[in-house]
Amino acid sequence: MAEIPRGPKEIHSMLVRLTEELMKSISAWDNVAFIGVRNGGELIARGLVKLLEEKIAKQIPLGVLDIALYRDDLTRRKFYPEVRSTDIPFVIDHKDIILVDDVLYTGRSVRAAIDHIVDLGRPGRIYLLVLFDRGGRELPIQADFVGMKINLPDEQVIKLEASADKENIPGVIISEVKR
Amino acid sequence: MNWPHKDLIAIQDLTSEEIHTILDMSKSFKEISKRDIKKVPALRGKTVVLLFYEASTRTRLSFELAAKRLSADTMALSASGSSFAKGETIMDAALNIMAMSPDCIVIRYPYAGLPKKLAQELPCSIINAGDGTHEHPSQALLDMYSMQEHFGKLDGLHVAIVGDILHSRVARSNIYGLKKVGAHVTVVAPKTFLPVGVETWGVNIATAFDPVVSEADVIMMLRVQKERIHEQYFSGEREYAYFYGLNKKRVDKMKPDAIIMHPGPMNRGVEITHDAADGSRSIILNQVENGVAVRMTLLYLSLGGNVNVD
Repeated sequence: MAEIPRGPKEIHSMLVRLTEELMKSISAWDNVAFIGVRNGGELIARGLVKLLEEKIAKQIPLGVLDIALYRDDLTRRKFYPEVRSTDIPFVIDHKDIILVDDVLYTGRSVRAAIDHIVDLGRPGRIYLLVLFDRGGRELPIQADFVGMKINLPDEQVIKLEASADKENIPGVIISEVKR
Repeated sequence: MNWPHKDLIAIQDLTSEEIHTILDMSKSFKEISKRDIKKVPALRGKTVVLLFYEASTRTRLSFELAAKRLSADTMALSASGSSFAKGETIMDAALNIMAMSPDCIVIRYPYAGLPKKLAQELPCSIINAGDGTHEHPSQALLDMYSMQEHFGKLDGLHVAIVGDILHSRVARSNIYGLKKVGAHVTVVAPKTFLPVGVETWGVNIATAFDPVVSEADVIMMLRVQKERIHEQYFSGEREYAYFYGLNKKRVDKMKPDAIIMHPGPMNRGVEITHDAADGSRSIILNQVENGVAVRMTLLYLSLGGNVNVD
């Protein structure tokens, strides 16, 4: 399996590829909106929306989701996930939502994100786009668009590192986590 | 983040960082109340008992809404409809409630100290919703949230708290909290409404309202407890209104961006007139709105994580 891309340049070219894939699959963009899951997904969604808007010369709505309150392990953790705001500046009803997260692993975050979205309205459909799919699913969830499939040992986490201004393409850090 | 508290009994138990954590988080929780579906599953399966041994509308409703919007199950019990009226002691009542395994008890009690006692005796979270003249921490937190929302900061604000300081747990909690976050407090009251030892609280003390009105960023009016008039704390409502009421004349003297607060319930015409309560400077209804968000944060922090592990 190929080396995991780390730098903003490599991430940028992944986003370009994902943009092309999206353009191929989706023909009508009038009804499409992006929702990024904080924090990594938000960064990816911003990058993709920027690239797409250049191509189709149209504004694409972008929202941000905080899934802390929808987690299924809330009362089992020692540490509290910090609660930040959800900010969806458009009406979700009937929209085609592209849900964006940085890493797809157990599928539990995506489950939480979908639950959160349907509490906010009834979208026409939801696509799932992820930058990295690292396998290890615990729920029957698959992505429609994948930047790259990767293999990582269980004790490692992969995270996006935001650049100082959120407009720029982030880099990637991989770190060990104590379990 | 690690939240070290099982209970919330007093503002005095919190550090300034913890106060800021609560205020920051409340911003996120406020957004939930603006949605069509005002509910998140965070506290699904948790049980919150609201035990109110003293009259309350705002606080009780606010805690109940907060719990429900986090998907917790709530049960409210008041003194009149409970076996307390039959002579059961409060500790017996509490132990019986505990036997039904609630995760949190929100308690209001007419005398100071009971919430702390319950927190020591019971394994569930205890949130103090007002105990005698001791503390009312959730009110102070929602007041600080409302000030911060308006001014963007708390540090350096000058807050005047006006009225019955002696009997007010709201005043005490606010004073403890505001001092921790770097605000200045002036208490304004007739001498009969100033508690013994107030000079050790680290606040400015004024017995005349007019010089303070033009200086403060926040004027927080306290309810005149009409039932106490007969105890000769002051000679009459009209005299009190004349010296300590917030009326149009005083509102006109306030700083340009100063605001008016009141924890409710208001006695219109006594400590506050219609002009002041309903005017553009009043954030009294924002306080109520913010109360739900702040109490959601408190329930989330007390119940959300497994604080007893380790």
